[in-house]
Amino acid sequence: MRISTSRQAKYVATALATALSLSTLTACGGSGSGGSDAKSLKMWTFKQSHVKALRNAAKEFKKETGISVSIEAFTPEETYMTKVQSAAKTGDLPDVLEVHSDGEDRVLGAAGIAVDLRDDYKGDWLNEIQRSVHESGLVTPQRFKKSQNKESSDNGIKEGARYSVPLTIGTFGIVYANKQKLADAGIKQPPKTWEDLIAALRATTKKDPKNGGLTTGLKARGPGLNWILQPLAFAQLGKKGYEDLWGKDKSADFGSPNGVKVLSQYNQLTPYWTPGTQSLDVDQSDQTFAQGKAAFDVGGTFTLAFLQQSGMNPDDVYAFGLPAPKSGAVPDRALAPMALTGITLSSASRQPDNAKNWMQFLSSKKVAAQFAQDATDLPATDLGADTAKALGPTLNSMVQSFKGTPETTYDPNLNQNFQSPGYEQNDVGDILADLSPLKRASVESTARKISNLNQSYWKAAGQ
Amino acid sequence: MTLQPTLPARVEKDRTTPPRSGPSRRRDSRYEALTGYLFVAPAVVLFLVMGLYTVGYGFTLSFAKWNGFAPNWEWVGLDNYKDLLWRDPVYAPRVRHAAANTIWVMVAAPVLTVVVSFPLAVLLNQVKRFQGVLRSVYFLPYVTSGVAVFFAWQYILQPDGAINSLLSGLGLGSLQQPQGWLGNPSTAMPTMIMITVWGHVPVAMLLYLTGLQGIDRSILEASELDGAGWWRTNMSVVWPLVRPITAIVLLLNLREALQGFQTFLVMTNGGPGDHTNVLGLEAYRLAFLKNLSPTLGLASALGWLLFAAALVLALINLRALRSKT
Repeated sequence: MRISTSRQAKYVATALATALSLSTLTACGGSGSGGSDAKSLKMWTFKQSHVKALRNAAKEFKKETGISVSIEAFTPEETYMTKVQSAAKTGDLPDVLEVHSDGEDRVLGAAGIAVDLRDDYKGDWLNEIQRSVHESGLVTPQRFKKSQNKESSDNGIKEGARYSVPLTIGTFGIVYANKQKLADAGIKQPPKTWEDLIAALRATTKKDPKNGGLTTGLKARGPGLNWILQPLAFAQLGKKGYEDLWGKDKSADFGSPNGVKVLSQYNQLTPYWTPGTQSLDVDQSDQTFAQGKAAFDVGGTFTLAFLQQSGMNPDDVYAFGLPAPKSGAVPDRALAPMALTGITLSSASRQPDNAKNWMQFLSSKKVAAQFAQDATDLPATDLGADTAKALGPTLNSMVQSFKGTPETTYDPNLNQNFQSPGYEQNDVGDILADLSPLKRASVESTARKISNLNQSYWKAAGQ
Repeated sequence: MTLQPTLPARVEKDRTTPPRSGPSRRRDSRYEALTGYLFVAPAVVLFLVMGLYTVGYGFTLSFAKWNGFAPNWEWVGLDNYKDLLWRDPVYAPRVRHAAANTIWVMVAAPVLTVVVSFPLAVLLNQVKRFQGVLRSVYFLPYVTSGVAVFFAWQYILQPDGAINSLLSGLGLGSLQQPQGWLGNPSTAMPTMIMITVWGHVPVAMLLYLTGLQGIDRSILEASELDGAGWWRTNMSVVWPLVRPITAIVLLLNLREALQGFQTFLVMTNGGPGDHTNVLGLEAYRLAFLKNLSPTLGLASALGWLLFAAALVLALINLRALRSKT
């Protein structure tokens, strides 16, 4: 009798353990539901600074349509796409995703995760958006051709498809200067040329050697190249000379006299970096600036929102596009606004029409103007005559740096057609760091190394 | 002697339990076997799904090109391995550079861990009072190790951080690092090695302490009677006796140095420049930080190369252990 009871207990325990294990496995597998129910939508973003603005917009959307939208943020940015990737595998994608424009949207399109919006995002909806970013999210013939290379991450996209609608625009290469520190160094207005910027840095670091320098997130590897060297090189060499730096022709790339020239100019910053800038990521460097530990900070239009979140008053900073050298080919160089983030309709959405209504709602003028104020960010929607009022003085001053012709405007878009497929800016950023601020390499050897790497990319791409 | 108390009990049991017939015994043994299988079933199912499937998936991925999103993998055979080892003009030099840095960590971190943890364990073993408290104190780095602590280290090592302030306060201003200890390429890697050692010493010290407490007192007394002093006893008697533990400590630290990268990711991201990039970090970058390029297969291949290296090291270590003990 005792033996039998013991056996029963063993079987019950075993059955329980098995059931528990299997239930765990089932949980790991996910429900596969995705999307949301008929009266609610889900949207994900990677921008913490957009959450409040999107939630405010969602409240208005609910008033108008009765459909609620829940907004969730997943940070840091680097992990966001991993989250999207795993959600796609388990069928847990939301209805709408905010993504980096002109890159991630096409990768999601190629994977069948982003829906082609070409039949909806046109006419009135398209005309709500600023003309300069009308091609954002669109697979142009050039983009389609580039995607055909097997090294391309968006291999598989369809020509003419639209995989995202721009939500915010902006640009890189925006310099923020602490007005007080400049005033303390006897500088009354923001630098207008590269030479003025170097002179201002000399003055502020002389006044305060420890906290008077320049900072940017060099630990992130790309910013020195992408936010400073590239707009500087465009202004110095003009569009053709700039594009040739990344070309297949070794005689015109970074190893050429033109390459050496722009690297020498970039090297002028070396004495003025804030100590330890090379160990700071983008957020940390912005915090350093907001805490008064640097006189200048280089970032993008999006940096202002973070500075404000870090306790800095936007009125206490000058914000301007990275100044061009006086003797450069394009002394009045402008910075092109590009779509920074876009919204994508997920193929897992069970109510795509409601999701499209929400996306179109976000593109409307009134909602976008409120979004700009709530997020301290530039919306992609054309605000027309209300632009200055909706953006406020500091954001509006950045918009001024957008005004230029195609030949005088630097386009900071990543993965440009003149660069090789598979080009990786961070690898170039590492080489550049050895020149400045680390002083581990000369201008000439840096030029040679970047040239060799550039040629390697072309070789690896089989072109 | 030790069997005596149990013997009568067994005899008593044999007397009271009636002998079982053949079919009954077989039924019992079947039940027993079935029970055993059912008990291990959850673990086996979990291993098959979470372990074997994942390992198999990762291994097959190392022969493909994929960015994590595309619907199909492109099979490339051994190309990923060839590209990493010698063929690709972009990836192969990066892997070689990261391998050189990794070798530095693999040599310095285990050796320094032994150099610090063995004397610490010997001293701790001789402390008569507060041994438990001290053991807990020295074990703290292991318990607290994590992303938050690595961030704390980052602040301590900054130009205006605690280390530079301390040096200045001690009148050793010339040793300060104006760019921070992680901002200077010459000090970044040694600093990272020191922090790795800081994280590894507690476990190593505990292992040594366990070994030291297992040494027969009579051996130590014999060496004292033979006239050996403290130094000679520890170097000529204790050290050889704890050699198997040293082998384990070295093996654990070698594996961690070869495959670990979290500290590097959080504290330096491989920088400044690319001066602290290690193989584990390079695999992570290939997997997740390549702007969705189809490099997951390369990351997986690098992971398997690291596994192969770890396996070789483990075999060498086992061999060394067998011959010395």
